[in-house]
Amino acid sequence: MESPLLLIHQSLNAKLGDFAGWAMPLEYPAPVGGGTLAEHEAVRTSVGIFDVSHLGKIEINGAGAKDWLNSIITNDLNKILPGQAQYSMLCNEDGGVIDDLIVYLKSDEAILIIPNAANSADVFGTLNNNFPQGIKIQNRHNDFAVIALQGPSSAQVLADAGLPVELNYMSFTEVDFLNEKMIICRTGYSGEHGYELLPTSGSAVKLWELLTKEVLSHDGKICGLGARDTLRTEMGYPLHGHELSLEISPVTAGSSWAVGWQKNRYTGSDRLHEEKVKGSARTLRGLLADERGIPRAGMQVKNSLGAVIGEVTSGTFSPTLKNGIALALIDSAIGIGEQVFVDIRGRNLAMSLTKLPFVSSHVRE
Amino acid sequence: MSENPKSFRYTAEHEWIELRGDIARVGITDFAQAALGDIVYVQLPTIGQSIKAGAVCGEVESTKSVSEIYAPVDGKILQVNELLNSQPELINSDPYNQGWLFEISAPNAEIFEKLLSSDSYGEITKH
Repeated sequence: MESPLLLIHQSLNAKLGDFAGWAMPLEYPAPVGGGTLAEHEAVRTSVGIFDVSHLGKIEINGAGAKDWLNSIITNDLNKILPGQAQYSMLCNEDGGVIDDLIVYLKSDEAILIIPNAANSADVFGTLNNNFPQGIKIQNRHNDFAVIALQGPSSAQVLADAGLPVELNYMSFTEVDFLNEKMIICRTGYSGEHGYELLPTSGSAVKLWELLTKEVLSHDGKICGLGARDTLRTEMGYPLHGHELSLEISPVTAGSSWAVGWQKNRYTGSDRLHEEKVKGSARTLRGLLADERGIPRAGMQVKNSLGAVIGEVTSGTFSPTLKNGIALALIDSAIGIGEQVFVDIRGRNLAMSLTKLPFVSSHVRE
Repeated sequence: MSENPKSFRYTAEHEWIELRGDIARVGITDFAQAALGDIVYVQLPTIGQSIKAGAVCGEVESTKSVSEIYAPVDGKILQVNELLNSQPELINSDPYNQGWLFEISAPNAEIFEKLLSSDSYGEITKH
């Protein structure tokens, strides 16, 4: 499978990487990009555009679609109205996370979900396993592109491209673009004011060309998934396979806010309630380096006596703070402000537990 | 992209070595810096440390990955580029000059000549 924009990325000499079988841009050379640091900075200060078409797209249609899906996923769809989107999770019976996803509620009978690329087939398989009569589930992975526009100038870029911008956070609208339906949602994965657009694959190139022209004229950059990862790590946003997995529940990952605790049963609810009452042994924390060095996923976290108290789930250099940062699952008894040590190939890097996000969020501004 | 200087020698691990009298200066090649992306951290060897050819003597990190630095020849570390502690991006912008990593006691001419020439190194990094 490939993005409908792949030829464009190749013509821009993007550095490509494999994401769940999709060749996707990691970063672009100057002048349109300029590497991960420059692309990251563009999103924090002006605007960046990303191709994230590898994300899954699954449609659920039919009478009772909302109530049925609500009986499976963790968050409560009754908290949102048609035209709104919600972050949620699909768990297994053990409370492990099959995937985290965005649910677009078009109506009580029409829903679009956006899972991660790598888990799209599992999510589709799980939903497709046991659905009631009258509901239709379609895997539309190749039928739409996903283009993310992120940064303080993103609204201006959309407006100058003639597209609607007056949307509340996590709200979406459907517009006509080249005579095809296109969803535009106030959402993203960068911590900045932003939008994700879902054109049909056939109209994606035209939309990309229209938007990139505006992005570049607003001092923005075309950004790769390298910058997307440093941006989300600065925000403390979880990435499935790192902060969330079949072994890491939403409670442990600090994502309890994506669980509808008041609602009736859903897959994994018994175990999640149990864990919430009992408390989890480890908790997802932010770590900020007290000295030079870059923590990486999989590295052990130790206390001053050298005992292992956790593990780094994501680590990088924060382009905004110019410092090493990490997300780590750490013994829940250790609190904000305490110092720990990350074992970097035998060297102990001193880091302090820090309140997340590392960089302030502007998603609602 | 910078040209690989003709007078330098190279290794298959993408390091360059430049003879400067009785010292040799070492860095990573333009090909290597481009493959790594934005370099954000460098771990340099210690001055006075003796190193063996092929041994790990430092690390270069980008936002996404870590790459080890190997000693191109036997020798003793005489100097390190301290500027890289605050400006690691010099490796990206000027890999053959301001982005040098360390200086080492020079190998004899025979060992130096056995390393890859700029043409041979150019061959192995051709797309």
